[in-house]
Amino acid sequence: MNVLMPQLGETVTQGTVVAWHKKEGDQVSKDEILADVETDKAAVEIPAPADGVISSVQVQEGETVDVGTVLVVINGPEGSAEDSSVPATDEQPKTDHSSEASRSSHSGKRPSLSPVVRRLIAEHRLEADAIPASGRGGRLTRSDVMSFIESHAADASAQPAESAPAQAKSPAPQPAVPLFSDGDRVPFDRIRRVTAEHMVRSKATSPHVLQAVEADFSAVEFVRSQSRERWRADHGFSLTYLPFIAQAVCVALRDFPRLNSNVDGDSLILHKRIHLSVAVDLNFEGLVAPVIQNADGLTVSELAHRIHEISARAREGKLSADEFSGGTYTLSNNGSFGTLLTGAIINQPQVGILSIDAIKKRPMVIEGPAGDSIGIRPIGILSQSFDHRAVDGAYSAAFLHKIKTLLEEKDWSAEL
Amino acid sequence: MGSSDPSEIPTNIPNIDTDTRLKLYRTMYECRVLEQRAYDLFMQNLVKGTSHLALGQEAVAAGFGTAMRQDDYTFCTYRGHNHTYVRGVSMTSILGELMGRECGLLRGKGGSMHLTSVEHGAMGSYAIIGAHLPVAAGAAWSAQYRGTEQVAVCFFGDGTTNIGAFHEALNFAVIWKLPVVFVCENNLYMEYTAIADVTAVERPAADRAQAYGLEPILIDGNDADAVYEAAGAALSRARKGEGPSLIEAMTYRHGGHSRADPGKYRPDEEVQEWLAKDPIPMYRGRLISLGIDKEALDAIESETNAAIEAATEEARNSPPPPVDIAHIDVWADGSASWRN
Amino acid sequence: MAELTYREAVSEAIAQEMRRDSNVVFLGEDVAAAGGVFKTTAGLLDEFGPDRVKDTPISEQAIIGAAMGASMTGLRPIAEIMFSDFFAVCWDLVANQIAKTRYMTDGQCSFPLVLRSANGGGSRFGAQHSQSVENWAMAVPGLKVVAPSNAADVKGLLAASVRDPDPVMFFEQKSLYATKGEVPEGEHVEPLGVASIVRSGTDVTVVALAAMVPRALKAAEILQDEHGVSVEVVDVRCLVPLDTKTILDSVSRTGRLVTVEENPRLCGWGAEIASIVTEEIFWNLDGPIVRVTTPHIPLPSADALEDAVLPSSERIVENVKRLVD
Repeated sequence: MNVLMPQLGETVTQGTVVAWHKKEGDQVSKDEILADVETDKAAVEIPAPADGVISSVQVQEGETVDVGTVLVVINGPEGSAEDSSVPATDEQPKTDHSSEASRSSHSGKRPSLSPVVRRLIAEHRLEADAIPASGRGGRLTRSDVMSFIESHAADASAQPAESAPAQAKSPAPQPAVPLFSDGDRVPFDRIRRVTAEHMVRSKATSPHVLQAVEADFSAVEFVRSQSRERWRADHGFSLTYLPFIAQAVCVALRDFPRLNSNVDGDSLILHKRIHLSVAVDLNFEGLVAPVIQNADGLTVSELAHRIHEISARAREGKLSADEFSGGTYTLSNNGSFGTLLTGAIINQPQVGILSIDAIKKRPMVIEGPAGDSIGIRPIGILSQSFDHRAVDGAYSAAFLHKIKTLLEEKDWSAEL
Repeated sequence: MGSSDPSEIPTNIPNIDTDTRLKLYRTMYECRVLEQRAYDLFMQNLVKGTSHLALGQEAVAAGFGTAMRQDDYTFCTYRGHNHTYVRGVSMTSILGELMGRECGLLRGKGGSMHLTSVEHGAMGSYAIIGAHLPVAAGAAWSAQYRGTEQVAVCFFGDGTTNIGAFHEALNFAVIWKLPVVFVCENNLYMEYTAIADVTAVERPAADRAQAYGLEPILIDGNDADAVYEAAGAALSRARKGEGPSLIEAMTYRHGGHSRADPGKYRPDEEVQEWLAKDPIPMYRGRLISLGIDKEALDAIESETNAAIEAATEEARNSPPPPVDIAHIDVWADGSASWRN
Repeated sequence: MAELTYREAVSEAIAQEMRRDSNVVFLGEDVAAAGGVFKTTAGLLDEFGPDRVKDTPISEQAIIGAAMGASMTGLRPIAEIMFSDFFAVCWDLVANQIAKTRYMTDGQCSFPLVLRSANGGGSRFGAQHSQSVENWAMAVPGLKVVAPSNAADVKGLLAASVRDPDPVMFFEQKSLYATKGEVPEGEHVEPLGVASIVRSGTDVTVVALAAMVPRALKAAEILQDEHGVSVEVVDVRCLVPLDTKTILDSVSRTGRLVTVEENPRLCGWGAEIASIVTEEIFWNLDGPIVRVTTPHIPLPSADALEDAVLPSSERIVENVKRLVD
């Protein structure tokens, strides 16, 4: 018989043989310890499943193998090598001449539990043996379990779940037995699922570094407040900080092109154009990032319009596939809920993403020729997550400094 | 330079107006430049998969393209870049499709062998030999039913004359008197084998015509004027309700069957003989001998050369199509779903 | 309501659509003057004339090719292939050309055509004239596949197929041509992609198609009367688009699924449904999924042999009993 590497934990897929206590040719008796194996979670002794002689050791000390790998073969007293460690399965039906699949019960053993019976037993924390079976050969049927549940309704501690779990097309495999049954299952919709996959993949692909800079938005605020009423009247929406920041980012990306790129194997592909992705939250139902093509060619006013327009269309679900593709850098505007700083996840295959959080009035030290004083300034933190394969911290910091400088020193009134 | 063998082909030059002749020349030249560029891009590994070039066969495409009405239908094989182009499709969209880009005529979903532009009447390039002959007959039936006098023109090679669908389509078109013109471009080779070795008759299309009650028509496919005239006659017959025609146009491809094929199975003397009958220099010579200004021809050439450069640049700058278009347009409503 | 045979419902549907839309035309072998070898299209030539109802030579590739060419240039052709087995003669036009051209051309063309044929066995015509080939069509992306089981559905689904903007393979089961049924009078259209629960039940779901539906219904009666088993019978009607919701809902309630398929075993539509059920509602199954099919053999011609291999009501009863015991 084959002795296999056991599964030493639910998520464990491999194990290492640490030490053999027996060698080829040795006689062993049932339960005698053959070897020590371990994973990063547990160490365990492997006993002999029956009497016999060790005919071949397949895995050496120090070797790591997958769960289920044959470790050692023991010849039983009859001298044959049968497979003994495979869990009992249903007999595979042979196709008879009428070609139908046959019954699922063994002769002589208690039949296996069907999927619906297993699920109901798990959900209601029942013992299969305690339920009277009316199916042929002692098979426990769904109606047997349902009858049992109904007649023990007063004793039941868990509420029965709705009859049909997860009818949605879910690509992830179901667990062997559902373990937690008293929460509410909210299946991912398509956007959530896609977002989840992207986020995991992005973190796995890019070594993220978070780096932030404070910027004084006084210059921007001056221009914004001056034109606030007129802008609103002319255009029907408010002029926010975002288009100013977007333009500063575009200018800075021209000076720091390695952040407007993507990593391709051992190279960095520097993009000729700057296409800004702007993250838009869809009322807590998902996050999308439509793209403003050639954003560096647009004025602040044009950027404001584009941002307003694509955000509105994103929320209405009216964006076309083209409008999601081709972005080279992403802006994520998180300020509306007053947050300080956000370490955003890079929008692959880009190498940088800038989070703009709340811009708030703060007391700041103002340096002047006559000495230092305290003033009140609108301050915002711009936090970039960058891919450390593409650039280093100094480059990123210089980029952020450039944005800050532009925001603080550019003549923004000329831009509107 | 005059017209070429075999001796049954008439040598008198038809009477065609200068504008049309210039259009014929321009069209041939544009086709040549486009097809040559497709070859170059393939050698630079920008065109993937395979493509089947019609270098040397421009006179057939140009002759018919010029003689047709804008609302006529054309159907061609996978060797169809020229046939599609002459209907008015842009160079950029053809090069883009070969390179699998967003600006491609089919946005990269069909590729070189399936160039189609319904708005120009180019009803598809078909990659399975013979399939499009009955389809062309069906389009002709539709025109006949609707009474529009549109004609369907169907281009195929010598190899097609041996497949079942060819015979079914011809018989079908004749019995219903459909307005369809079947044009066989005999370039002497079905893929890698000489057509003469695998065909029971000497002239693969012309010698089958009478089996279907049609007149045999054999023309010099490298003589743009001869093609233009024969096309005009066949189109006119069809429009008047006199039924289909089968035309065999003798020509030759400069390259192999596809990009993978260097064409080594063709004897050198034969290749050289046909290269000397290249339709474009031949026509240029004819136009000059007819008194057309050399400068006019030079201008056509330089305009075309500039156009191909611009088109190549535009196509190269176009990005690959977004992946989600792979999941649309199985059905007429744009979706691809087979279930609820 | 009128009582019509399944075959009469065919010409009634075609006539309904041809009256409604002058772009609908019809071609096939022996369909016009002779009214069809199965007499399914009698009367159409008289009503609509030889420009719209056309006899063709024996040229399946030309018939299908012409339908394709006409449908991409403004007409709505119905083409008949006499026996569905003959699709093999023109499968290039169906699977390579019609099914794929819209996709390959980035949506430039569409093909509003119907290819109808006489499908299936039980008529002692032998192996080359008795096949159930709907699965060949189901396996090719770009084709809709319809197979009605009764006269009312013939009329309603054929009308819907003609109106559908996509290519539809319409399989009429020849062994059902003589069966009668109540058919709504006047304009009748049934949507594609909707399965029908033709008998409600609680213990097992039997999913059947075309000629197998009446056999499943007969088996369900026997199972109820003689064995107290309550069977729900679902008539799939349309393989593409497939109404998975109705099937999944039914099996979720009963916990058991049996498919009844006239096709030979391998790659029959029931295998696809079994796969979907196993993947999506595994935790509702109270027993294995069973497929009752013709074995994987060509069909023999002698009546005793053919009847022994096509799924019968008795065989359906036997399989369901074993499943619920």
